[in-house]
Amino acid sequence: MKEKKVVIEIDEQGNCSMDLEGFQGKGCAEVAKDFQGSDVVRNVRNKQEFYIQETAIKKQHHRP
Amino acid sequence: MSKYVELRTSLTDQRYLVEALQELGYEPEVCPEGRALVGYGGDQRAEQAHVIIPRGQLDSASNEIGFVRDSGGVYQAIVSEYDRGIGFDDAWLGRLAQVYKERQTMAVAKAKGYIFKGREVIHTPQGKKIQLRFAVR
Repeated sequence: MKEKKVVIEIDEQGNCSMDLEGFQGKGCAEVAKDFQGSDVVRNVRNKQEFYIQETAIKKQHHRP
Repeated sequence: MSKYVELRTSLTDQRYLVEALQELGYEPEVCPEGRALVGYGGDQRAEQAHVIIPRGQLDSASNEIGFVRDSGGVYQAIVSEYDRGIGFDDAWLGRLAQVYKERQTMAVAKAKGYIFKGREVIHTPQGKKIQLRFAVR
């Protein structure tokens, strides 16, 4: 099972980015919420890995 | 489900604000009820603040620098034109937010049981970035 990792980068302008890797399901949103605190969300994007997992799930559902 | 999230730091927690100011070399005064800031001539100014850097810790011609908690719970900086001109500008406030966010992140990680994997300072053309890495149990 892939390790769940969080990488947070904070710049000198007061901006912060969170890179969440290896998550499945709701866990990802919960971890993001923990570190987000009351900060303003400027942008959120699902990573390629997310779409690969989605495709795999759909394929399983279509199996006869 | 892997995500990439971009945030703008809001100064909402007095504890981390005070710690961040201390890390930048100041000993701020905390006034839960708020008090008027003192100007460079010793005069009381109209602006009130809850976290204050006294004049003695600033330039001899400085006004006090304050942080007032607004109705949304966010600390807003009150910095005079003079003090902005001598370096207490947006860049200084950005560095303050950087230290604040690092303190807050480390405290959240500890409280929620994340496993700290390392800290790195990355030099970029826009300045130093602090990278914090965690693993999830």
